[in-house]
Amino acid sequence: MAFDWLYLSQLTANGLILGLIYALIAVGLALIFGVLRIINFAHGEFLMVGAFTMAFALPAVGLLYWPALAAAIAAAALLGLVLYEGFLSSLRPGEFERSILITLALSIIVLHVVQYLFTANPRLVDTAYGFAGVSIGSIRITFTRLIAAGVALLAFGLLYVLLSHTQLGRAMRALAQNRDAALMVGIRPRAVARNAVVLATALCGLAGGALAPLQLVTPIMGQSLLFKAFALVIIGGLGNVPGTIVASIGLGLMESWIGGFFEIVWQDASVFIAMIAVLLFKPRGLFATGTARVG
Amino acid sequence: MRGLVAIVLALLLGALPLITTSHYIIGIGVSACVFTVAAAALNLVYGFTGLLSFAQLGFWGIGGYAAALIVTTTSGNFWQGLGCAGAVNAVLALAIGYPALRTSRHAFVIVTLAFTLLAELVARDWVGLTRGPLGIPGLPAPVLFGFRFDSTPRFFWLGWGYAVLALALLYLLVTSRIGRTLVAIKENEALTSAQGIAPLPYKLAAFTFGAVLTGICGGIYTFYLRIIDPSFLDFYYMQTFLIMVIVGGAGSFWGVIAAGVLMSALPELLRFSADLRMILYGVVLLVAMLAMPNGLAGWLHERRLARMRAVPPP
Repeated sequence: MAFDWLYLSQLTANGLILGLIYALIAVGLALIFGVLRIINFAHGEFLMVGAFTMAFALPAVGLLYWPALAAAIAAAALLGLVLYEGFLSSLRPGEFERSILITLALSIIVLHVVQYLFTANPRLVDTAYGFAGVSIGSIRITFTRLIAAGVALLAFGLLYVLLSHTQLGRAMRALAQNRDAALMVGIRPRAVARNAVVLATALCGLAGGALAPLQLVTPIMGQSLLFKAFALVIIGGLGNVPGTIVASIGLGLMESWIGGFFEIVWQDASVFIAMIAVLLFKPRGLFATGTARVG
Repeated sequence: MRGLVAIVLALLLGALPLITTSHYIIGIGVSACVFTVAAAALNLVYGFTGLLSFAQLGFWGIGGYAAALIVTTTSGNFWQGLGCAGAVNAVLALAIGYPALRTSRHAFVIVTLAFTLLAELVARDWVGLTRGPLGIPGLPAPVLFGFRFDSTPRFFWLGWGYAVLALALLYLLVTSRIGRTLVAIKENEALTSAQGIAPLPYKLAAFTFGAVLTGICGGIYTFYLRIIDPSFLDFYYMQTFLIMVIVGGAGSFWGVIAAGVLMSALPELLRFSADLRMILYGVVLLVAMLAMPNGLAGWLHERRLARMRAVPPP
């Protein structure tokens, strides 16, 4: 069989877009880990809430993409605020396992409440763009995919500006790098942690909203993506935002290529095998820089 | 005294098939025996050693598949299947535990979770080995010296015997010097190292022993169900083990056993809706984590302390 370059480039384009969506999810996890030192097991449910908000908001606003996406982000961010104020703010430093069990319990509750209310049936989400798209050469990309990639890139740009050029973001990085020193210069950990959780969940809502028109929306969609995102955060070096983005895009490409050329089972397995391999040779992750850091 | 109470209660529970003829109730008894051992194994790893391991679910599933495959694809019998379930899990636990324990405790959680997800993938997608979603049905009843464990009351003796044996072993372990070392590692790893104790071999041993016990649990439960398919690796089981440990009190040997028996019976009341049952599980876990982070055992202990501290009335 002749090597099909067109097929490869189509796979590459899809993989890049997939990787950007992974990055949106994983970056939020890395942010929360960097600032709060906890792993948020309910993170996938924010993605699901974003996607469900998108699914319900689209018909309400006449299939317009942008207002529905804004609603998805707002819904996830609002829930993030509830998560922090209601549950995470009472955690003391070092209560890592407890944070996992609390967020795991919340994840179970949210997932099954949604499943109970809206059933587990997959939903197809239609937007005003439908399945229209652009052709670059002979590669075809739908508008919804292109927009998903665009908003993800835009979000990373804004995140970079936020983390490196605003007081809000610098406080997050300070807290991630050295908690004691950050406290000494008058940074309030509570406010910064709240900002980080809301920012991370908003990114996750964005990912859910952007993903909704690309695949079927189900209550369990967040779970499988979350588990991959965990692996990505480890590969990227716990709490390292740029490392996580690089690892995510790499995984998106790898999955797409593997899915195109090999049996489908390797597609899901590749990320976990990659993670275990990385841990064997570089226990602190591929992009670790001494201490975990944000930005 | 406490040992005597435990023996009486264990014998009382063991007499369940003599008290009732209801297969439904005895079936819950089988689940209670198996789940309690799996929860106690998780308690060894998490409660005593302080390692939150999601790999327990993977060990449970791999144990089930290993036992089933030995019986169906080779000429092995049930007992060889159980031995194989334990051996495979011991090897896997060493292979996964060594790299995972060298990383931070944060990464350990994720690695063990990934291991379980990989096991689930193999169960679902490696059709040549596991028959995928079709599962392996029609497993034969175990036989011991001509006695066939072919009905629920008979199978109950098997589950009960294993539970008594495994829990006795665990009790000996956690009350020994090794058990105290594990707790010391959990409480303060740096100080333990400074005392000249290398934490890694102890952690690895606890993780491996927990894996072996859990794998045999999985094997027994598979032969109780008489079928295994990928739903045997459903996250529901992990949540069950976790809730038993959390509600009972992580690090409390008797607390987890009490919670294991209790939490096996309780969800049966909510059988009519899987979603409502899971919501209840989530709420129980959340409330336990927020209101009594040390479980029932910790709560009782605190109450006792408070009573001792209270000023007696003049």
